[in-house]
Amino acid sequence: MNVIKRTLLGMLQPVVAVLIGLIAGAVAILLIGDSVVDTYREMWNGAFGSFYFLTNTLTRATPIILTGLGVALAFRAGFFNMGATGQMVLGGLAAAITGLYMPGPGWLVMIMALLVGMVVGGLWSLFAGYMDARFGVNLLISTLLLNYIASLFAGYMVSFPLKDRTGSAAMSQTPMLEADVWLPKLFSGMSLHAGFILAVLAAVAIYIFIHHSVAGYEIRMLGNNPFFAAYGGVKRGRMMVVAMLTSGALAGLAGAGEVLGTQHRYLDGALTSADYGWSGIMATLLASSHPIGTAVAGILLAALQTGAMGVERNTNVPLEVASVIQATLTLFVSARFGYLFLKRRKERKNNGSAV
Amino acid sequence: MDQLFDISLFNSTLRILTPILLAALGGAICARVGLFNVGLEGLVLVGAFSAILGNHLLGNVWLAVLFAVICVMLFSLLFAYVSINLRANVIVVGISLNFLAAGLTTFCLRAIFDVKGAYYDKNMQGLPRWDIPLIKDIPVLGGIVSGHSPLVYAAFAAAILMWVYLFKTVSGFRLRAAGENPVAAQSLGIPVRRIQYGAVLVSGALCGLAGAQLSLGQVTMFTEGMTAGRGFIALVATMLGQSNPLGVVASSLLFGLMDAFSIRLQGFALPAQFTQMLPYIMTLAAMFFFKDRSYLKDAQRANGSSR
Repeated sequence: MNVIKRTLLGMLQPVVAVLIGLIAGAVAILLIGDSVVDTYREMWNGAFGSFYFLTNTLTRATPIILTGLGVALAFRAGFFNMGATGQMVLGGLAAAITGLYMPGPGWLVMIMALLVGMVVGGLWSLFAGYMDARFGVNLLISTLLLNYIASLFAGYMVSFPLKDRTGSAAMSQTPMLEADVWLPKLFSGMSLHAGFILAVLAAVAIYIFIHHSVAGYEIRMLGNNPFFAAYGGVKRGRMMVVAMLTSGALAGLAGAGEVLGTQHRYLDGALTSADYGWSGIMATLLASSHPIGTAVAGILLAALQTGAMGVERNTNVPLEVASVIQATLTLFVSARFGYLFLKRRKERKNNGSAV
Repeated sequence: MDQLFDISLFNSTLRILTPILLAALGGAICARVGLFNVGLEGLVLVGAFSAILGNHLLGNVWLAVLFAVICVMLFSLLFAYVSINLRANVIVVGISLNFLAAGLTTFCLRAIFDVKGAYYDKNMQGLPRWDIPLIKDIPVLGGIVSGHSPLVYAAFAAAILMWVYLFKTVSGFRLRAAGENPVAAQSLGIPVRRIQYGAVLVSGALCGLAGAQLSLGQVTMFTEGMTAGRGFIALVATMLGQSNPLGVVASSLLFGLMDAFSIRLQGFALPAQFTQMLPYIMTLAAMFFFKDRSYLKDAQRANGSSR
């Protein structure tokens, strides 16, 4: 009973956040001078209106969920890993290289490409963690800066050494992967690929890891109260290795999944311009780092984005209405962190215990 | 080497470092009152957009700068309210603010100017260049120091003013006290919250100027996400300068020089990606030399604001 009540209370907050976001969107739509109801109907149709659009939304949600899960794990340990974008880009690039040059049967190459993507993303993330643990380089800033470095490096790789010179188009991209390396599609003719199943499995796995394992308990303890964790003998350095490696590996998997499942090549800017990494962080914040909640929030944000494309196709309202709704959501998220604090303080007062 | 280092390199250094310096000063004053402002990037972005918008609406470049300053101050009030009154985790607030800035500017760009990606108006007047009467005739110095937009000089003036204020006035002493130990300061009757609000507003004004220099200084245009990490580099400049305005000037000079250098290197046969990477790599390298607070101290500070 208590569990149900707590879950419902936990869900109330994000639902209110979404409602406030939709109200802000409605104001924006009214300012442009369109009908709110029609616009939102188009948005719903664009996201969930048919089986085709539904699979589209889930495809878009896949990398968001994966990066979001990685960030959620790091956040739980109290590490502000903002480097999801860079880890994803390098993971995608590494997967593309593996897929192009590794010999062997298609299924083996595909699995290896996913693994290599995870390893590279994880190592890139661990690099930032190592600099923090060993040299005291602020993790938040270093991961942000590493994003730019990773994207530019990947950009260089596909504009010079790995550039596709077969086609006539002068795009910065690698050659197309062989079709037997691609992640299988779940339904023929639809964009949804097996990466989505990996994302769902990862959400469940991370949930079990955080809530039902010793290492997960230590991670939560470190995030909630570093002093107590240090007192209890939790090694911050070791936890950082675990959290950052896993976090980066998930982002790397997101990139590898996009390359093997959707793009079938590494195209410069394809991963960064869609802002998967940032949407993942937003999903984590929205779900206050709960793994299952992050997955749901990831689907919601993806629905908002694909829905906005539908809006742009069928009404005068621009695609960017989605960014207004998302922005309001994040604002609400940050305010909620304060609200939780106020509530806790009030409870303390009621209990009459010393602060 | 002759082609690498010349007067125009240092001249462009001054121009490029200005947004970083202004934002970093904003970060410094926030850090002095105990608020780690990760939202600088977003504040500068809003400043850049509102400067262009102000210029479009008001048709005067000075009013546009004023408009940008006011807009960003209003925007920074949001940061102040959520992190001071609601006592939310400042880092989460800063990150959210960056999202908010990115979302709002893309939407407004589309809704107001009806363009995607970038807005450019060739008739729009940018910030003027000031030739300083006597200095401009001095051989080398004149070529470096003279002929910049007024905001370049304003940035340095702001740094000196802030240094004098922080370390030579009673009010500045109180501000530092409010940041060092809010509880002790409060018990002495120092209005900690009001001081924090003031610091955030000043930081907003400085970021507004930074944005105006970015969008009206060299070319008069706005592009989505045009800050490109400058707010984060400014944050590192704040940390590297130990939140001391003069230290911040020094670290901003370093980053400005690196930026100018990377633009210069593009003239050589190097791939553009590597030269663009240089400022970020240098910033990262610079952070190895800054490590004053251990994570436990950080946690102690963060105890006031909860997760």
